[in-house]
Amino acid sequence: MSEPTAGTDALRPMTSIQVQQTRDFVESLDQESQPYWDMVEIGDELSRDLHLTPELVILYADGVEDFNPWYEGWVMNKWHIDGQSPFGGAIVPPLLVSHFVLSVQFDHTKPFAVGSIHTFHDTTIHEPIPVGATVRILTRATDKFVKRERRYVRHEVTVTDSETGVLYLSETRDILSL
Amino acid sequence: MTTISNGAPPAEGLVTRDTPVGFELVGVKKRAVIQLMGSRLWGRFNPNHWDPRYARETGLAAPIQTGEMSTAYLAEMCVNHFGRNFFTGSRMVCKYINATLADEIITTYGVVREKTPKGDGFRFTVDIWASNEDGQKKTVGTVEVDVGV
Repeated sequence: MSEPTAGTDALRPMTSIQVQQTRDFVESLDQESQPYWDMVEIGDELSRDLHLTPELVILYADGVEDFNPWYEGWVMNKWHIDGQSPFGGAIVPPLLVSHFVLSVQFDHTKPFAVGSIHTFHDTTIHEPIPVGATVRILTRATDKFVKRERRYVRHEVTVTDSETGVLYLSETRDILSL
Repeated sequence: MTTISNGAPPAEGLVTRDTPVGFELVGVKKRAVIQLMGSRLWGRFNPNHWDPRYARETGLAAPIQTGEMSTAYLAEMCVNHFGRNFFTGSRMVCKYINATLADEIITTYGVVREKTPKGDGFRFTVDIWASNEDGQKKTVGTVEVDVGV
């Protein structure tokens, strides 16, 4: 267990027990992992289903302080509601599922490849996603390239409704790897 | 009859088919708050997004936001201006060119670059970016959205 040192609480107030818990947590993340470049082969496909619960949507939107009522399928006091948007009930913020692509293209059954940076996305939003839908995120590695002595891995992504197959979003995205 | 807004943007947004090239979108402004950067849904999986000590050990001046947070800020600006149109057939391209550091204040911007006739309306192309208070661009890109089509 590492010794707590100055710095952990530099940007937010903490007591000694909070500092220690933080250091313990950071240490627990230290796993043996490969660079992302070595983990991925062109043609690799990964897929996972994600249930877009009202609570998940609120967690996402609150994190970026986006309080648009269109995204509310859950409000305090009432809890679950149908919500209201120009499409009827509550919908998912337009780029929410793009954020979760990370949890698919980085094979979650393996240690996370530290030192990887998301650098680019080209996203088409085809249809609004209703809050409560379950979506299938499919990623396919399409290219590995070096640009200005940096290594990049490119993926093509589709997000579809798990039940109906409706295409909600498609995306090209690049990850810079150590 | 007077209706009271609940804080939602106009359903059709603020941009109409008559909005000219050169129109400047009104952005959103946010502080890169360390507690939000390190929340479970956002950056907690990687201490570089919230732990000053770990960030320093890996060569960063401070914890850095996930790029998707600035994408979300830019998307919020786009929803305010394009309303429902942003959810059907739009395109958003973003490049993360500089890291957003904890405590920086980020403002989003957009300028209509082009209008291409499409159906009864136009496909708008808008240059978008997010900058800190010194004007350093963090994220740059474009959006394309159909209006009045």
